[in-house]
Amino acid sequence: MMTLVIGGAASGKSEFAEVMARQFAAPRVYIATMQPFGEEALARIQKHRDRRARMGFETLECYTGLSVACEALPENASVMLECLGNLVANERYSPDGGGKGVALAGVLRLADCCRDLVVVTNEVFSGGSDYEGDTLGYLRELAQANRALAARADRVVELTAGLPNWLKGGPTQSEEATR
Amino acid sequence: MMFVTGPLFAGKRDYVCRALGWTQEELAARAVWDVQNLAADAPDAGTLARLADRLAGYEVVIATEVGGGVVPVDAKERAAREAAGRLACLLAERAETVVRVVCGLPQTLKGDSSCWSI
Repeated sequence: MMTLVIGGAASGKSEFAEVMARQFAAPRVYIATMQPFGEEALARIQKHRDRRARMGFETLECYTGLSVACEALPENASVMLECLGNLVANERYSPDGGGKGVALAGVLRLADCCRDLVVVTNEVFSGGSDYEGDTLGYLRELAQANRALAARADRVVELTAGLPNWLKGGPTQSEEATR
Repeated sequence: MMFVTGPLFAGKRDYVCRALGWTQEELAARAVWDVQNLAADAPDAGTLARLADRLAGYEVVIATEVGGGVVPVDAKERAAREAAGRLACLLAERAETVVRVVCGLPQTLKGDSSCWSI
């Protein structure tokens, strides 16, 4: 089952997705997409890795080339991917990036080769359209990926103030019971 | 009138075409979109209300939500954003049905959209 979780900054989307993913069958893999810059970021990332290991998640760092990284997944893995906003930016702007459309292709490939999948993505589309440089191009690509994944997903949920607003599908009985 | 709103690039026009079985040509003839930009030219509340009245003559009115970011430093942009939000409220009041589209998925905020179901 594939679930797309969307929300603004600090809307509680990560926590919501994490609670969901903890109920997935093992082996559980967390795919991290944020490229670390500097000592402080590395230390913070290690802290998150340790915390997730205690919850039964193996962490796979993947900044670009998700399609290829899928090959390294254990069979029948359950996956939490966080987040699409980073992945699109990495593919678009990083020297190792594959360019436009590659991030979405990677997530669609991932959806085909794992058991349960929850993808976290960003709501950054309500602040107008007056941006400099390539920002609008980035927003257009992220929005297109969001729409394509929402169409592909079994469930789509928007988070506001930590509360879920289901746009497609709804919580499972066991999810209802744990909240 | 049906008022459709939602974030930028959310698939609002595609949703309307899907829901109503319209072609792009029909959409262009029977709907109006990006009305948040029209609000910027309304100098006062009365003009804004008249604009809402005029837009309500269309079958479908589509606006992009633009009030979710940081308050703009520029006074003109600030006023335009404020007017866009007010216009959305006025249009929602006049609409029989209000639908918000996020990631291409519709959610009915007012009225019954079952007859528009896709």
